[in-house]
Amino acid sequence: MTHVLQQIILISSKDLRIEARSRQTLGLVVVLGVLIVVVLGLGLGPEQVKSGIAATAVLWVAYLFGGVLCFEKTMAVERHDGALAGLMLAPVDRGAIYAGKLLSNLILMVALSLVVTPVAVIMFGFDLSASPIGFVAIMAGGFVGFAAVGTLFSAAVSSTRLQGGLLAILIFPVSLPLVIVSTQMMMRLFGDNEPFNTTGVLVLIAFDAIYLTVSWLVFELILEP
Amino acid sequence: MISMTAEPVLETNRAESESAGLAVCLNQVCKRYDERWVLRKLSLNVPVGSYLTLLGPNGAGKSTLLHILAMLSQPTAGRISLFGEAANRPNPKLRARIGVIGHQPMLYRDLSAIENLIFFGKLYGVRRHAERAMELLERVDLAERAKSQVKTFSRGMVQRLSIARALMHAPDLMLADEPFSGLDVPSVVSVTNLLAELNAEGKTIILTNHDVRQSLELAKRVVVLRQGHIVCDQPIHLADPEAVTREVIGQ
Repeated sequence: MTHVLQQIILISSKDLRIEARSRQTLGLVVVLGVLIVVVLGLGLGPEQVKSGIAATAVLWVAYLFGGVLCFEKTMAVERHDGALAGLMLAPVDRGAIYAGKLLSNLILMVALSLVVTPVAVIMFGFDLSASPIGFVAIMAGGFVGFAAVGTLFSAAVSSTRLQGGLLAILIFPVSLPLVIVSTQMMMRLFGDNEPFNTTGVLVLIAFDAIYLTVSWLVFELILEP
Repeated sequence: MISMTAEPVLETNRAESESAGLAVCLNQVCKRYDERWVLRKLSLNVPVGSYLTLLGPNGAGKSTLLHILAMLSQPTAGRISLFGEAANRPNPKLRARIGVIGHQPMLYRDLSAIENLIFFGKLYGVRRHAERAMELLERVDLAERAKSQVKTFSRGMVQRLSIARALMHAPDLMLADEPFSGLDVPSVVSVTNLLAELNAEGKTIILTNHDVRQSLELAKRVVVLRQGHIVCDQPIHLADPEAVTREVIGQ
């Protein structure tokens, strides 16, 4: 178990080191996320801008599109110069490769949210102090499920010539239930000022568990050098 | 067709226990992609310490065979054993005994040479990975560029680093898929010498190549594949370059 954990951390830290050096993914993702928030913020009327509902919806749009770019880029690193084959030749469980890539994607998505969320707070006057724990819990639940599906599909799509658009087309419908639950919870919390309840989070955790299990099982079958 | 006599060629249904002393033992191995048979009932024995070169036209099944030996894909039928252990399905223990040099370097361009080696060393559970990485970089004449990113390397340097990566876990079997393609003459000489040194150290080497004369100069045994069949299997000292060339081109 410890050995597998070490391999997961090793794969993920390698991805993050490459990202820190090239700064390709995060730079692009953050610019995209900020642009989405700013453009949609400017496009909405003053009344809508002030509502928490608009802010949460716009934030999720930024997270989702930014996330798709993260998934694509972290898998592209493995496709360059056949690095994925090198990884697959090593005595490493495919599940560990999946978990390593998932961890990298989650860290990049959290980094994206750390930049984009304050922009939304400023643009929309979004009051996070109403329920910071609720916000973090919903975001975490949403991110895990979305990244679980995204990591799987990015591996499948990366071996085809139809990257980019195809990845978004595949991920969005599959993760729709998760996105709907997350945005609904956010809207109730920040739009309708309802108190934070754990039932919604449990639903999110259930979705995450399903997505994680299925993706982990399928990853081994779709991974090709 | 050239006779297949000199080195031991497998008879079918040979017991796995007999494969002691063999690095590779293929028994009636077949591989099919969709409706196309790429390998057809391929049987081959490769003793430990052999230096075998696989020749054949494009699409003959050379790379597919190396993929199967590297456990990157599984045969449709037949039995494979490596070092006496069944290898039809991915086997982590056996994987740790195989080093692969491919068409592509299997390296991360944004990492430095030493970072790449250390990463793969850790994946294989190599102890003293940093020292081992430095030792290999010296061996492939890249010690001075240890901290340079791979993307700044020439093709020849990348290929030498790729060999170092494949050697990081001290494998017993080296599989090289066209290791000379795209290399200039000095790099070819350098890679040739490295492979010869490894074989002299007792490692089993199987490489695919297109150049018949070069193959006959560097290996000890030549096997020609055509349309998924072995059409020639000879030790180098018995092989006639022109006859081998005729087998490769199918005349």
